[in-house]
Amino acid sequence: MSQLLQEIEARIAGAKTAARRQNVGIVREIGDGVVRIEGLDDAMLNEMLDFGNGVMGLALNLEETEVGAILLGDFTSVREGHEVRTTGKVLQVPVGKALLGRVVDVLGRPLDGKGPIQAEAFYPVEKIAPGIIKRRSVNQPVQTGIMAIDAMIPIGRGQRELIIGDRSTGKTTLAIDTIINNARLNREAEQSGDTSYRPLYSIYVAIGQKQSNIARIVSVLEEHGAMPYTIVVVASASDAATNQYLAPFAGCAMGEWFMDNGMDALIVYDDLSKHAVAYRQVSLVLKRPSGREAYPGDIFYLHSRLLERAARLNENYGNGSLTALPIIETQLGDVSAYIPTNVISITDGQIYLETDLFYQGVRPAISVGLSVSRVGSAAQIKAMKQVAARIKGELAQFRELAAFAQFGSDLDAVTQAKLERGKRIVEVFKQEQYKPVPVEIQVAVLWAVQNAFMDDIPVERIKEFQTAMVDYLTTRKPDLLSRIRKEKALGDDTIAALKQAIGEFKQSWRP
Amino acid sequence: MISHRVLRREAKRLYRLCLEGGRVNESRVRLVIDHILAQRPRGHIRLLIQFQRLIKLDIQRRTARVETAVPMPEDLQALLREQVTRRYGTGLHWEYQVKPDLIGGLRLRVGSDVYDATIQGRLMALAESFDQP
Repeated sequence: MSQLLQEIEARIAGAKTAARRQNVGIVREIGDGVVRIEGLDDAMLNEMLDFGNGVMGLALNLEETEVGAILLGDFTSVREGHEVRTTGKVLQVPVGKALLGRVVDVLGRPLDGKGPIQAEAFYPVEKIAPGIIKRRSVNQPVQTGIMAIDAMIPIGRGQRELIIGDRSTGKTTLAIDTIINNARLNREAEQSGDTSYRPLYSIYVAIGQKQSNIARIVSVLEEHGAMPYTIVVVASASDAATNQYLAPFAGCAMGEWFMDNGMDALIVYDDLSKHAVAYRQVSLVLKRPSGREAYPGDIFYLHSRLLERAARLNENYGNGSLTALPIIETQLGDVSAYIPTNVISITDGQIYLETDLFYQGVRPAISVGLSVSRVGSAAQIKAMKQVAARIKGELAQFRELAAFAQFGSDLDAVTQAKLERGKRIVEVFKQEQYKPVPVEIQVAVLWAVQNAFMDDIPVERIKEFQTAMVDYLTTRKPDLLSRIRKEKALGDDTIAALKQAIGEFKQSWRP
Repeated sequence: MISHRVLRREAKRLYRLCLEGGRVNESRVRLVIDHILAQRPRGHIRLLIQFQRLIKLDIQRRTARVETAVPMPEDLQALLREQVTRRYGTGLHWEYQVKPDLIGGLRLRVGSDVYDATIQGRLMALAESFDQP
């Protein structure tokens, strides 16, 4: 009890008794979550403004006679003539490991009813991206668990890889699969006591999405045990445009904490098209000049400064990384629209998902021709390089030949063989959602395809063969798989063992 | 219809014409208003509203408002005026208001700067300090 009294006394003593100088302004206009304030002569750009009753705002426009600000939280109590104070602080969010496993809003406040968050620190939402001195090129892979990506469009830690496609083509699923796969890898490393493995923590930022969708994603992550390694930042469709605009920056600040503390993090922005729309709304209400498609002139800078914060730091700066997977939704496959072209040019590659492929049953519906990873191949493990080096070319060749072959049936043996191999590769890459494949299994399967073990299997039975082969290798040859995982390369003896194991399986497999 | 941007620019030009040594000259303001009303250019009412806003903001910037719980004695007013003038310069308009809600002390506002030394202000600061985690 005496401690409590002392604490109260300290608080009373701490409350300043001298006259405080404050900078105040008066709300002149309010609407759509945006206020215009007269006064506030000393307001700084991006400074937090106190509207009283726990309502905060953010100064975005500093004009000659007034300040334009966006409101955060419930602003129904703010009225014209209301007094506003500057706080001298920029917008900050809680960061740290305490946020893992939690669903939070833009200001880092919990939305999951699991109690308050004891944050280790606070990070500013807007921060300058790490400079060139701090950086290094990517050299460690992000294992997505999606065969087509890990083999043909590899992603490195610290890379920015765009996921782009029309609605309902599996963009979010790709990101969720990656989160689930990395949570599995983290868990396995923890359980085996492998200290050399660098865990990859994930941050999923939902921007302008339906609450039902977000709830479904959270339940999927919980179901697959990925939540303990994941932070979900939510600015749903029912939240104000201002919150949707800030959400990716808040998520990025949370990810930067991991990077700055020598850890690896992955951030998914789902999606930046809605983010651009939210920013357009805020800008128009703030009466900023509009440009193409009514987007403000700084829409490119908005996304470039966000994505530039994803980086791989060098060893002098802790060796941490922040990998970004922004998502963009296209309209009728138009990748040449304003926002898609902007984000394509900012990122280090893109994974393009095609509606046609999706409805043909090729899932994930990755278009090999249009997808590219500009830096990720440097981070690919050697074993994968050995088996997947030629696959992208072969698959691209297959698509070209398949289009050509439909006009005639007289094909030479070489073309026929390429077509048959291509069909099998397409089958092998088909994968169910939320079932990421460990890298050693990917290597074994791709090795089997490349070495003609599947050439005599009918195309429609490839998946069945693959499943049985994976079961066989997992249950009967776990040592071989763990050797591939540990050595990360296919040596002569590993290749011999793989050849023998797959040969044995093939003999025993009864179609 | 004349655009809002043009009107704002014109109002600002007129406002600048009314400045003398960095302060608004009242006779010039009256002259400007008389001139506009005599000429009646397109959008003159909107122009006058915009002009009025700029003058109002200028007056607010140069106004010192003192709020106290009880009427302030003359000698204290003079002392306060002297100290505030030393900081903000001469030419301030002074307004005194009595607000019993303040309980005690004084609240001074000059432009957008507020100095709160009231009991009400201290109690609110104390309440806020308890609210913070």
